Amino acid sequence: MHYDAVVIGAGTAGLVAGARLAEGGARVCVLAKGVGSTHLAPATIDVLGYTPARVSSPAAVFDEFAASRPDHPYALLGVDAVGEAVRWFLGSVAAGPLPEYRYVGDLERNILLPTAVGALRPSALVPSTMAAGDAATGERVCVVGTRSLRDFHASLCAANLRRAGIDARSVDVEIELDRADANTLGLARRFDDPAWRAGFAARLALKLRAHESVGLPAMLGLRDPHGAWSDVQRRLGRPVFEIPTLPPSVPGMRLFEILRATLRRAGGRLVVGAEVVSADRSGSRIVSVATAAAGHDARYGAPWFVLASGGFGSGAIELDSHWDTRDRVLGLPLRGLPEPGEPRFVGDYLAEQPMARVGVAVDSSLVAEGADNVVVAGAALPGAVPWREGSGEGIALASGSYAARLVLARSGAPAGAAA
Amino acid sequence: MSEVGGVLEELMRGSLDHCVKCTICETQCPVSNVTPLFPGPKYAGPQAERYRVLGEPSVDSSVDYCSGCGICSMSCPQGVKIAEINSQARNRLKQQKGIPLRDRIITRPTWLGRAGTPVAPVANFTLGFRPLRVLGEKTLGVHRDGAAPKFAGRRFSRWARGRTSPPTGRRVVYFHGCGTEYYEPWEGEKVVQILEHNGFEVVVPKQDCCGLPLQSSGLFDDARKVVTALARALVPYVRNEPDTIIVGNATSCTLMLKREAREILSLEDDPDLKLVSERTYDICELLLELHDRGELKTDFKPVDEHIAYHAPCQQQGHWIGKPALELFALIPGLEVSEMNARCCGIAGTYGLKAEKYDIAMAVGADLFAQVRESGANEVACDSETCRWQITHATGVGSVHPIDYLHRAYGL
Amino acid sequence: MASLSTDVLVIGGGATGTGVAWDAALRGFDVVLVDRADLAEGTSGRFHGLLHSGGRYAVKDPRAAEECIAENRILRRITPDSIEDVGGFFVTTPWDDPAYADRFAQGCRDTGIDCEEIDPAQALREEPLLNPNVSRVFRVPDGNIDVWKTIWSMARGIQARGGRVLPYHAVVGIHRDGDTVTGARLRGAATGEEIDVEARVTVNASGAWAGSVADMAGIEGVRVRPGRGIMIAMNHRLVNTCVNRCQMPTDGDIIVPIRTVCVIGTTDVHTEDPDDHTVLETEVDAMLDDGEKLVPGFRQARALRVWTGVRPLFEDAKAEDADTRDVTRAHAMLDHAERDGVQGFVTITGGKLTTFRLMAQDTMTAVCKHLGDERPCTTKTEPLPGSESGETYHLGERLSRKEARLADDQLICECEMVPRWRLEEAVQRRATTNLDDIRRLLRLGMGPCQGGFCIYRATGILHSLDGLTAEQADGSLLHFLEERWKGVWPVLYGDQLRQARLDDWIFQGVLDVAHLPSSEREPVATP
Repeated sequence: MHYDAVVIGAGTAGLVAGARLAEGGARVCVLAKGVGSTHLAPATIDVLGYTPARVSSPAAVFDEFAASRPDHPYALLGVDAVGEAVRWFLGSVAAGPLPEYRYVGDLERNILLPTAVGALRPSALVPSTMAAGDAATGERVCVVGTRSLRDFHASLCAANLRRAGIDARSVDVEIELDRADANTLGLARRFDDPAWRAGFAARLALKLRAHESVGLPAMLGLRDPHGAWSDVQRRLGRPVFEIPTLPPSVPGMRLFEILRATLRRAGGRLVVGAEVVSADRSGSRIVSVATAAAGHDARYGAPWFVLASGGFGSGAIELDSHWDTRDRVLGLPLRGLPEPGEPRFVGDYLAEQPMARVGVAVDSSLVAEGADNVVVAGAALPGAVPWREGSGEGIALASGSYAARLVLARSGAPAGAAA
Repeated sequence: MSEVGGVLEELMRGSLDHCVKCTICETQCPVSNVTPLFPGPKYAGPQAERYRVLGEPSVDSSVDYCSGCGICSMSCPQGVKIAEINSQARNRLKQQKGIPLRDRIITRPTWLGRAGTPVAPVANFTLGFRPLRVLGEKTLGVHRDGAAPKFAGRRFSRWARGRTSPPTGRRVVYFHGCGTEYYEPWEGEKVVQILEHNGFEVVVPKQDCCGLPLQSSGLFDDARKVVTALARALVPYVRNEPDTIIVGNATSCTLMLKREAREILSLEDDPDLKLVSERTYDICELLLELHDRGELKTDFKPVDEHIAYHAPCQQQGHWIGKPALELFALIPGLEVSEMNARCCGIAGTYGLKAEKYDIAMAVGADLFAQVRESGANEVACDSETCRWQITHATGVGSVHPIDYLHRAYGL
Repeated sequence: MASLSTDVLVIGGGATGTGVAWDAALRGFDVVLVDRADLAEGTSGRFHGLLHSGGRYAVKDPRAAEECIAENRILRRITPDSIEDVGGFFVTTPWDDPAYADRFAQGCRDTGIDCEEIDPAQALREEPLLNPNVSRVFRVPDGNIDVWKTIWSMARGIQARGGRVLPYHAVVGIHRDGDTVTGARLRGAATGEEIDVEARVTVNASGAWAGSVADMAGIEGVRVRPGRGIMIAMNHRLVNTCVNRCQMPTDGDIIVPIRTVCVIGTTDVHTEDPDDHTVLETEVDAMLDDGEKLVPGFRQARALRVWTGVRPLFEDAKAEDADTRDVTRAHAMLDHAERDGVQGFVTITGGKLTTFRLMAQDTMTAVCKHLGDERPCTTKTEPLPGSESGETYHLGERLSRKEARLADDQLICECEMVPRWRLEEAVQRRATTNLDDIRRLLRLGMGPCQGGFCIYRATGILHSLDGLTAEQADGSLLHFLEERWKGVWPVLYGDQLRQARLDDWIFQGVLDVAHLPSSEREPVATP
């Protein structure tokens, strides 16, 4: 099958690249090995959280950070690209399938949200369902948990918030479920039911004090999260906020739905279960890729490819038992590997690991060094340690957008449908 | 798939090593999300498999509630063959617990077809007669309301034998499956007409069941016999013909040939099945590929209809996206509402079983609601068992996607 | 200063020491068992779990082989609950001397080890991943043994008979009154409080540390040479049978299926320090290559973690530095009254886990002499607590228990199927909230995700049980991450690296544990 552009990977970066390519008029197909990393992440838009000092304003420190890290994607992209991508994102959420669901925030000030264990984590943009958790509000907080949900522990969360100087306490509510191993997704479905919500809110209200904001695990609905959240908030008469916790991430699933709908609305295709297993080259260009389909491989050809396949986590970049590293998708050269003989890992878990910055080698316009028609985006890029920096979504949005812009510019007018 | 290969890469069980417990499969499983009787694909697949020992008794009967829809394997970002692991575990469980009579009967559409076709009116009456269905539920365990199809009263192969395809030199082998043969022969006629319209000479070999219902119910030995017999029947037409392919309209059955038989029944080494699996195409897959090459006739007249399209889980299991949707886009006037649901619940014969019918209807509830809300007059769906389930649940008629192409071609 | 008085003080809570205390308690003596850390944290808890048939020693060390098979049968009678009857193969691979096979078979016959030669095709039917090029296969009664279950069963039995079990109490001095050892001084790790123990006999069962304990008693010349070896746990059972190379004992010649993993081991590196836990990359490479010989494709399988164990090798004569394996693996029971003229002190060292009961019995023979009170040994027949039914362990047990309570049991560690009630009960029973201890006991966090999901859950539960302050909970969680990482990173590649990356996202991303109040406070960037 032939397209104007093929995107490999359906995480945040891949879906953004695909959607923006389609919005730009390109006939685009996004190939996904499986469902993406969105389902595992808190779905806050983290632009820059730690440098390693905690950042209170990403915009204010961005240039300095980029200058100190010339290999970092931010050094190649620049703060304006991040700002533009964030604005696009906010618009896509507003136009998306979840009624009135919005993100709030900007690059000027990080919002400090509690994590499920009670640390405070900086994010530039957060869903409005989480915003009331901002430590800057100075509100008294009541963290609510339930024994039925093993993935969230309110007492530990509240105790650590207290140690950070927040007036926090915890309560447990009883939630009767048909199974012991419930997760936030199962509960989110119940929160999509107004009658169930009303019962829950009534029971919880009895345990609350006069003036406190209420922190719940991130489970306030999948179909209509704004509706669920605002309803609960109204019934409790107090600010309510979601706290992201262990996967599955309900806010992450919402984010996936928004991005997928954006892609589809613009006419892009998404094929799930399409793992790229080989590529056809002609000189320095990739002509087509083959995915492992049933029976015989399926082929996808395009003049441009966006490689948003992720890093080690997705298995796109692999370190094997002989300590050799490779890009398993297109076989492109990597950057950031330790020298032979140098350690790959160090014994202190929380220190930065030598293998952390490995990615597919790119030139200054994010085009892969091994192939002239491949642009790299997201976690596949070298030079960043997003889970330590708090930069994952910022990189994904900005590089995905950038990749789309580059491909559209260099393609001229899109080729149009085949035949 | 690693280039290094080795014995371990081949085995479904070995793929459990890829599991990072991310829970994505659990978010997608249509069954565990509606019933606690099935603890979920992560639990039943890569997690429980670490506790299973070849030769020891099965201890987890919950795996029997897996419907085999395969959405977990498709969604897994790490490549764990979850549904395949479940299937193998269920097979072992059934071998130990014994296989109920029901599972020996409803898994053989060939027997049922041959028995029911000559007496179709009576057979159909029986299947629609409630007191007999209630009796059937109590004695055999087939749910009284399970979406059973009507016998057509004639066999597709008879029609095919009674004619010859115009010899164009460009042959294609048609694998029609039991659904077309006994219940919807008109679908087969349309497939042949569309292929001939596009310049193919259609060959319909003598053929039988693909064995999927047997495999789904855990009767692996019988499934192996049946599917290898089918492979032997088809392979002579492709063995020395590198350009000849096999095409089918039953997406569950073509998937069985393409992949499931080899992986789940451990038939990777059968050379006939291997060749057949490489050459098998779904009809929409084939037509879209022709279009991509500029070889598809696009003399479509407008079809002014509003339809809904549901891609069955076993169509998605081909891992080629949804070609039907792109074909629909070529037909002027056709308004298509794409259903955003994972499974209709029937999962072949799963939804017919007394103990699973309610689960199946709960699984499909989301789809059924979307169908009703869409206001569509008809539902396009690639698998016959899904079509019967959708109509049973919503009252809306359902046909194969190629019906609209047939209409648009004016054939 | 607190003080205790007892008949028998046993120093060392490994299999041997606990076995001595169990034997003593069964004989009706009062006994105190101490260990500087948790029970089974020394060598006992750090080996691969093989219940020897003795086949390994059939040619090289027939006496050891005879002891092994005799004890193998006894242990199956007295602690079947800890034992899984997986069976064993000795296989001749293309890298093994084909002539050894016949010597092996003869050695088994001579030492009474049930040994049946089977067709390699049959072996491959039972173990599809076994190297298809093995030329000969012998079936032997190897098994696996859960050493924690065994040791803790004995500990419960000791306590039930009035004995005292004191983990986390280090020996800081041994009391001598002239030529008699009269007891020891202990220091409790939790409070630093010291306890004086007055004992009629003191047993030094500290394994690889026996030399330094004997030194404390002023006894010279007890030399234990530590032989360090690594073991690698693979994510799932590539084989369900213990698979041994049919050759003289050497590195990496065995894969043991135990619980949900299989373990390949081991190497042999001389070290001076019994607390040396170094893992060399060369050792890891060697183990992976050895794995490939037995199971082709081993390197594509997923390695979970690596750890080291230190063999206590008692030196009777001069031994070469390089290969401590040639030093005898038979045990050494030193009656210091005979050897050094010192009453009231006995050392037991060397040996292997399979023969712990015999080692304990020999030790108690000497102890009874010191006490002047001969009482019969009943450990050969007395079942350990929990093993009264006589049923051996089956791998499906945890899965089966969960299936029976599918809707009720909330699994905290899903990989190892640890339900919430077990965690809460372990906390009550042992009055500990040390996640490390609980982890070992329940195998929590020892599965493929290496705690990615369960450690937050377990920490939250422990905190809510009022067992921990937030500071302690955070410290416990961070400590777990550090300890786990030590065993993960030296074998981190392939699938496990994907897992580690996801775990990084969970801990450092979603939970942001690096910025808990317990971690160093980071300055806020200006402006």
